[in-house]
Amino acid sequence: AFLTDCGIAYPVLAGYPQNSGDDEHVLVNNKCQCVTVTSRFVPSKDNPDEEILERNIRILVPLKARENISDPMSPLRTTFVYRMTELCRKCDPVEIELGGEIHQAQQSNFCDEPETCYTYDRDKCYTTTFPFLYHGEIRKVPAVLTPASCYAD
Amino acid sequence: MTSLAFIFLLALLPAQSTSRRYLPKAASNPVFGPREVYGLLKGSVTVKCFYPPTSVNRHDRKYWCKESTTGCTTIVSTSGYTSPGFQGRVSLIDYPLAKYFQINMTELTETDEGTYQCGVGINGRGLSHKVILDVSEGPHVPEGAELFYVKLHSTLTVSCSFGKDYESERKYLCKLDKGGCRTVVDTYQKYGEDYYGRVILSNTEPAGSFSVAITQMGWEDSGLYVCGAGVFGERGVSKELDVHVYEETKVPQGKTTIFGVKGSSVTFECHYEPLRMSSVKYWCKWRENGCAKIIDNAGFVSPMYEGRVAMYDNPQNNTYTIILNQLKDSDKGYYWCMTDKENEQQSSTELKIIEGQPGLEGKKEVEAQVGSRVDLTCSYPCKYYSYQKYWCKWTNTGCMPMPASDQRQTGMDVSCDTDNKTVILNFDSVAKTDQGWYWCGVKRNSLFGETMAVYLEVTGGSTADSGLDLLDIAEPPSHAEPPSHAEDNFIPQGRSYSGAAASKSSDESHGPNKLVLILTPIGAVLLILVAVFAVFKYRQLKRSDLVSVGSYRTNISMSDFESVKEYSASNNACVKETQETQIGGDEFIATEATPESAAETKKAKRSSKEDADLAYSAFLLTSTSIAQGGPGEDSAAPDACPPNWEGQI
Repeated sequence: AFLTDCGIAYPVLAGYPQNSGDDEHVLVNNKCQCVTVTSRFVPSKDNPDEEILERNIRILVPLKARENISDPMSPLRTTFVYRMTELCRKCDPVEIELGGEIHQAQQSNFCDEPETCYTYDRDKCYTTTFPFLYHGEIRKVPAVLTPASCYAD
Repeated sequence: MTSLAFIFLLALLPAQSTSRRYLPKAASNPVFGPREVYGLLKGSVTVKCFYPPTSVNRHDRKYWCKESTTGCTTIVSTSGYTSPGFQGRVSLIDYPLAKYFQINMTELTETDEGTYQCGVGINGRGLSHKVILDVSEGPHVPEGAELFYVKLHSTLTVSCSFGKDYESERKYLCKLDKGGCRTVVDTYQKYGEDYYGRVILSNTEPAGSFSVAITQMGWEDSGLYVCGAGVFGERGVSKELDVHVYEETKVPQGKTTIFGVKGSSVTFECHYEPLRMSSVKYWCKWRENGCAKIIDNAGFVSPMYEGRVAMYDNPQNNTYTIILNQLKDSDKGYYWCMTDKENEQQSSTELKIIEGQPGLEGKKEVEAQVGSRVDLTCSYPCKYYSYQKYWCKWTNTGCMPMPASDQRQTGMDVSCDTDNKTVILNFDSVAKTDQGWYWCGVKRNSLFGETMAVYLEVTGGSTADSGLDLLDIAEPPSHAEPPSHAEDNFIPQGRSYSGAAASKSSDESHGPNKLVLILTPIGAVLLILVAVFAVFKYRQLKRSDLVSVGSYRTNISMSDFESVKEYSASNNACVKETQETQIGGDEFIATEATPESAAETKKAKRSSKEDADLAYSAFLLTSTSIAQGGPGEDSAAPDACPPNWEGQI
């Protein structure tokens, strides 16, 4: 079964065998937009002796998602935009060796741009406030949208 | 079109780089468990399901469900649900700190056969592992593979034992893949290509047992392995192992490769489990026939590495640091941090040597005579400006810090000067016991940086010269105080006398006697001064009614006072004293000469009578000020410059 732990995605029956035997590698695993891209070498259709690179892009569209995932009262999202440049962005620092010293470097530009997420990232805690009527008074009470991710330890 | 371009570009990528940078799809599922479990009718099975111990995973729901056409129906979960058909015969217990949860199914029936999933979170979302349950009549049930769940870049330790019968057989560990079983390591020192330098096989007790340690576990190392005695597929016994690598955090833990500049030094860090603090920890270099011990924390240092390696323990972080300097090309290879207890975390790092310029520079070999003054200098570049610098003496048990001076100006400067960036370790009088290795190093926030090693050789020499040198250095400080005293200015000559006496005494004897010899003339001088002062006071008392201080004063103006200074040679000399006297160094000898010359000039000026009269008036002026109690604090010059009548005596 392939990793599809993107928040509010529809349950999808995984079609990938566990031990495919192919050297399929994961290129992109974007939890924010729930897209995975994997690649592997396959024999070419024109020339079976030749191997060409095949890329599989898997997008899980969360149809029940809200426009603002932190606000359950916002309207349902109807527009989903996926851009390869954004998905292939590597913003996690990576260690590289320069002149005998190890440095941490970011591999992509525009990493500071805020990204709109369509689903929840499992490792982040999402909260919201909602109006709560208590003793005749309406209060803004904080509530957690992803309980398992919001523990302190 | 773009996809074609992509394909074209990506086809050029070598396969090696992809395997290092990108994880294989099979390894991307972090939940891990057995592939197949075998149970007997009416028997029971236990399934262990592993997951990365992140906060969200530890708190999330765990489930065990059976696959069907409509999805995966939950049998039991940590939310408190148990399917009606399984009431009382199935249990699920979570052990978050041990990174797994366990499912126990009892009273197995034939209908229980099928494919199940153990997972975290919500059913069907993919964070799960497929398990095939096989229920047979028996009596024998095949043993499943042993499961290993290891963190990325950590060490996998596998132990296999087959009994005394296989003691002399070839032992091996191989990885199952499409073509068969590829050898990882065996007792005939054959190493798999990808495992060179990062695997060690060691025979253990009891007979016929062995353990294998593989460090720097990567994504590609996940999969099925076979450990055995004999030859795989042909003879002997074997056991299957299922290994899965998981990633807990994105932060890289530890370095896999360290680059060292030739001639410079490198720092290795070894982590250890906090509980096992009492075991002996050692550091060794990987070789095909074993790991050659270099240094351990009990004081052993391999003779070839004397003066080159030191180990520092840091119990707070559960790490110990190893510094290796004077790097050569032959130092490249794999180094292992090991402990003598078998089941502990062993780690390895690859060291590569590159060409470059070491940061710390200095003379690497210094030879000195016994008793002489030696300076070991170490110059550092601007990049170490903000680091702590230190000198230490190398011993088998570590490098002992020594007090040293940093020649850089401390202060508020932000720039970095290219000169004066040296750290000096000096020996006033070097002894034979000082011979050995000394390290100059930099440190930042208790993290050890570069070091440089210097060998100090001390050869036997004469002792007489050393005594003289000692005294010469000692003299200036003792003579620096006198200028502030009144006595010296009374007799500038006297001081030079005492100086001469001191030097004479230094010629004759040395050691503790010098102090006594210096003090005796000073004591004599003091006595004379006291006697003179008493006489002077007595004479003043007698003369006081003859001189009208007030009327005498009115005749004297400031200009006269100034000229008095010119005529009074002692005044000049005294002014020079306060300005020029410095503690230590050659300058003091220069100032010693001036009082003598001043005394001579004073004598020369005494010849004319007019000069004598003016000198006498100056004397009276200063004497009145002394009689009135002497405003010592206001003007240092008059106070420090008593009349020069001593010269006349």
